[in-house]
Amino acid sequence: MNSFPDDPKNTPSRLGRRGLFAGSLALGALAGGRWASVPAAAAALRRTAVPGTVPRLVPMRPHADQITDIKVCLRPFRAAGPRLDVERVGEKVVIHNYGHGGSGWSLSWGSAEMAVGKAAALSPRRVAVVGCGVIGLTTALTAQRAGLDVTIYTRDLLPHTRSVRANGSWTPDSRVALTAPAGPQFADTWERMARYSWKSYRDYLGLPGNPIDFRDSYVLSDTPFDAPEPEPENPDHKGDYASTGMPQQSSEFARYGERIRDIIPASELLPAQENPFAVPYARRAPLMIFNFGAYGHLLLSEFHQAGGRIVIREFHTPADMKNLPEPVIINCPGYAARDLWGDRSLIPVRGQTAWLPPQPDVAYGVRYKGASALSKSDGLMIQGFDMSGLGEMDGVGNSFEHADRSEAEKAIGIFENLFARFPAGQG
Amino acid sequence: MRGLQAKARGAALGAGLLALTGPVAHAAPARAAMPSYYTAAQAERGAAAYQQFCAVCHGADLGGAFDVPPLVGRFAANWAGAPLGELFDYMAKAMPLFAPGTLTPAQNADLLAFVLRENGAPAGSRELPAIAVGMKGMFFPKMTSASVK
Repeated sequence: MNSFPDDPKNTPSRLGRRGLFAGSLALGALAGGRWASVPAAAAALRRTAVPGTVPRLVPMRPHADQITDIKVCLRPFRAAGPRLDVERVGEKVVIHNYGHGGSGWSLSWGSAEMAVGKAAALSPRRVAVVGCGVIGLTTALTAQRAGLDVTIYTRDLLPHTRSVRANGSWTPDSRVALTAPAGPQFADTWERMARYSWKSYRDYLGLPGNPIDFRDSYVLSDTPFDAPEPEPENPDHKGDYASTGMPQQSSEFARYGERIRDIIPASELLPAQENPFAVPYARRAPLMIFNFGAYGHLLLSEFHQAGGRIVIREFHTPADMKNLPEPVIINCPGYAARDLWGDRSLIPVRGQTAWLPPQPDVAYGVRYKGASALSKSDGLMIQGFDMSGLGEMDGVGNSFEHADRSEAEKAIGIFENLFARFPAGQG
Repeated sequence: MRGLQAKARGAALGAGLLALTGPVAHAAPARAAMPSYYTAAQAERGAAAYQQFCAVCHGADLGGAFDVPPLVGRFAANWAGAPLGELFDYMAKAMPLFAPGTLTPAQNADLLAFVLRENGAPAGSRELPAIAVGMKGMFFPKMTSASVK
């Protein structure tokens, strides 16, 4: 096998199955001690892209005069994590399913499964779902799949719900809870939700219109990735959630991603000669994305095809639930729960995305200087998620739900500058 | 399995809906209060056995996974009103999936006691017998809103 890398028969185009088979033989050889370490074996097997075969990236065209839309979302953040408890309102059983922070899309199917499990235990023939964002829709579909008749009661339909103002990528532990208030039990709940959702989303891959897709995501840095990060915070005078009732520092936010690293594609460091960007360090990992248009329409179609009914209705107080004909209600209002249920534990975390015309020939995303650019079927999405060095505190407590064009232009400018120097070494 | 679920669902419908729409204390008096079929000590033994034999698939919290049915929630609806002996027999024959039929009747009775406890059924003063015919007249309880958390 030592001759494998230089064997002219094994050019990249001919690797195919023979190469994979050779790879499995080589793993057998590994057990026999042919390589000193797993990374050395992986390098010998060339399990990642063969040097020189990294596809040429079509440059993005990020210019502020190309903006077609600016969307602002208020992530429904709760320090203890999403609200999933069961409450009685009069004779009605209300099962809550809201407050998923920046992780609603990612956790939706798993969270729906848990909520519907509680509803199904009561053996109702029909259930009501309040809200028709991504949590409400996936909950309604999950309830249908559990054999229940479902009516959605909602004030708004896609694309008017806050859900579609997200950036639409797999971010299962983005501002979903604070480590301490959520406690270890929520970490277990989170893991179950995340694993369930991930598998559910895989069912929507490869469909017409690519409702769910993967993009290579490049993370760029001017400093080595293993360099210690500067500590921007001064914990001494800020306090924390326990002392102030609001998160104060990035370090308070829960990070659970390590728990599911066995199913999430790892990132790889690009060798300098493979890095097309004029930035010294680049890392690449496949990222799951949600194309709002195709996916939203598909979910709605599935709901209707399965006999679901939608009633446009605005609830003003929890007591309004008593007037619904269904005995069991799954409550998925998202951020609106702050007013509807008087839930002051909901903290807005503002986020903004700018949308430029779709570039279907651009099949990747880039993150650099606290901003993210992601090519999706419904547009080139550009978001400044941390352009002020605030980390996870960016947007926390900010409920200004209006577009900030200067913020959008600043984020776009980061990529305009980057792609003016693309590919690296030219111009 | 589908037929079994449909049967259980059908059996569960009447009383389940009654319990939801009427005042719980007065609905279907014979079935309103969940009967107690097991002892607390038995459920504790079942909890230990569960972690040893069942949690690897069904999860430490009985929540299941994408390809594994949960043992709470809709599980309760699927079995509500079904003779407890049928569930006991099913466990004895089919579980654990990787080594069906390898647990003793006493272990299966303990596990069933634990599953009942986790679904909100109360403990009592008599142990669940370790034989299906001994469960004559016992039925998997119907859930009420109080038992769903």
